[in-house]
Amino acid sequence: MSELRISRRAALAGAVALPFIPGAAFAEEQVVIATWGGDYANLLRDNVEEPQLKPKGITVVQDVGDEDPRFAKMMAQRHLPRGPDDVVCLQGVLGFKASEAGLLETLDVTKVPNLVHVHPNLRSGNYVPHIYSLQVFIYNPDKIKEPPKTFTDLLDPKYKGKVGLGDGNYLYVMMAAALAATGDASKMTDPATRAMMTKLNENGLRLYPSTDSIGAGIKSGEIDVGIMWLARVIMWQNAGIPVAASFPTEGSVLYVSGMVVPKNAPNKKGAFDYLNAMLDPSSQARFAEHMGYLPTVDNCPLTGKIGEQLALPKPAPKMFVPAYDVVSKTQADTADWWKKNIQHT
Amino acid sequence: MTSVAIAQRAKVPAERSQAGAAATFLAPATLAVLLMLVAPLLLLVRFSVNRFDATDMMIEMVTPENYLRFFSDPFYLSVLRTTLFVAVSSTALCLLLGLPMAYTLARMQSRWKSACMLAIVLPLFVGSTVRMVGWMILFARGGMIDSTLRMMTGHGFELMYTTTAVVAGVVSINLPFVVLTIQSSIETIDTRIEEAAQSLGAPPSRCFWRVVWPLALPGTAIAGILAMNAYATPYLLGGPRFQMMAPLLYWEFATNNNWPFASALALILMGTTLLLTACSNFLIPKRYRA
Repeated sequence: MSELRISRRAALAGAVALPFIPGAAFAEEQVVIATWGGDYANLLRDNVEEPQLKPKGITVVQDVGDEDPRFAKMMAQRHLPRGPDDVVCLQGVLGFKASEAGLLETLDVTKVPNLVHVHPNLRSGNYVPHIYSLQVFIYNPDKIKEPPKTFTDLLDPKYKGKVGLGDGNYLYVMMAAALAATGDASKMTDPATRAMMTKLNENGLRLYPSTDSIGAGIKSGEIDVGIMWLARVIMWQNAGIPVAASFPTEGSVLYVSGMVVPKNAPNKKGAFDYLNAMLDPSSQARFAEHMGYLPTVDNCPLTGKIGEQLALPKPAPKMFVPAYDVVSKTQADTADWWKKNIQHT
Repeated sequence: MTSVAIAQRAKVPAERSQAGAAATFLAPATLAVLLMLVAPLLLLVRFSVNRFDATDMMIEMVTPENYLRFFSDPFYLSVLRTTLFVAVSSTALCLLLGLPMAYTLARMQSRWKSACMLAIVLPLFVGSTVRMVGWMILFARGGMIDSTLRMMTGHGFELMYTTTAVVAGVVSINLPFVVLTIQSSIETIDTRIEEAAQSLGAPPSRCFWRVVWPLALPGTAIAGILAMNAYATPYLLGGPRFQMMAPLLYWEFATNNNWPFASALALILMGTTLLLTACSNFLIPKRYRA
């Protein structure tokens, strides 16, 4: 039996040459994305990571968690030369805050070619919008025949104890109140806005700890009316919850969820590839289909059932992208007021 | 030189080598505690005297404003009061329910003792958040309690998002700890002491208050500490309107990103808990204190 002998020098030479051999397994690069879990993470995996990035040799690691700790971690690790994440998922307000704090890489079409298709009103220098939805009134169509049309309608005594809101949505609820009270969604600290919100609270407002518990509240008959995102209404309708949407006449505030690349991302090239894949019409259509969020790009027309469900009424409702600069400055004050005057009664 | 003095001199190097060996064994654990517990605590103290800034998050300085904000605002004091109320009432209930169970278990001679012990330990196998989801199903509108009462009386009974729900939830989490701690304390009490007390004319109640109660009391401190720091239970069963210190702290840390104030809240909560534990020690007669 012959014996294979490999000298130390030959072994070292082989190790050096290995990366240059075509198709070597470790040629794959890695992208780490800090994201929400659940359906969102699964859809990212099934529609962005597996079909679009894997064939390019990019493996993706999902760092799943809540948004607030994710942002706090980003802030705390901003001085590190190499951060832990390449892509971070944030909703609009926190995306703006991260940008203001100078944490983000500037993005343009040379880095992310699909940015050219992003709706102009959602564009920003270093924030890529992924999905968005309109704020609407939700109601149980079996019990409410005349749905609320303005925020002021919710103050009607006939809805006493029957209006429910998600506590985590406080900022956007305050924007809705501001829009109704002052005509400007960013005037959350205006006395008229606060007076309107206080009246709603006094009308037996029910506060829920999570968004899903609002759906459960509608289903059990605990509440009949609420304020929610259109996307959630579609998800709940698909789950058999009796719920319908009505668009506020004063206009709808937009919820935008997107992604950013931290300045200290270890693999920026991979992060740009990720963002580009995420804006691809095929993955955008899947998010609309499964989660009811509207595509942020102009080259993804929706057809079939989801096209009907997400079709906006005519004339189209007024839509407002939050004035993130004002909102981010007044958020702490608004949170403090909400905690002491709405939560604490 | 006397033989005693020679023996003592020989003892000193032996003691020194024993102390050296002990120090060597203790050093890694001590270092780990210093790094993992004391260092973050010191960092927390440092953060608590910084100033919050919406853009930069924190401005380094030494200011008492976060502590002053807490103690001068009636809202935060009411949150502390609620936390204390939940801690005291749930601990009292744990004691009321746990003491007879612990005593019976400790004195049990039956072959079912292991099965009973397992039944008490079993809830600890399930995470507290998962158990709270069970309580939510029980308490919710259309849940078991509400549906049963609605069927029987025509009127429902909503327990969700009430103080009762939170106290019940906290008791369900802390009770196994209380029972196990008190049971192990009672097992150390020789049954002959109780028999001796009774044979000397002490009625069972007096024997309980003078012998069993003082030894069982330290076991209740754990229930108080756990209740003071409850997070998932008040958040899930109490809802957003029920405010206790731990959820408030998380709100300030995560939602507001106000790390200085959140650090001050954490230290105030820790200080209050330590103070309560120290005070509970005075309830134990001096001769029984450790």
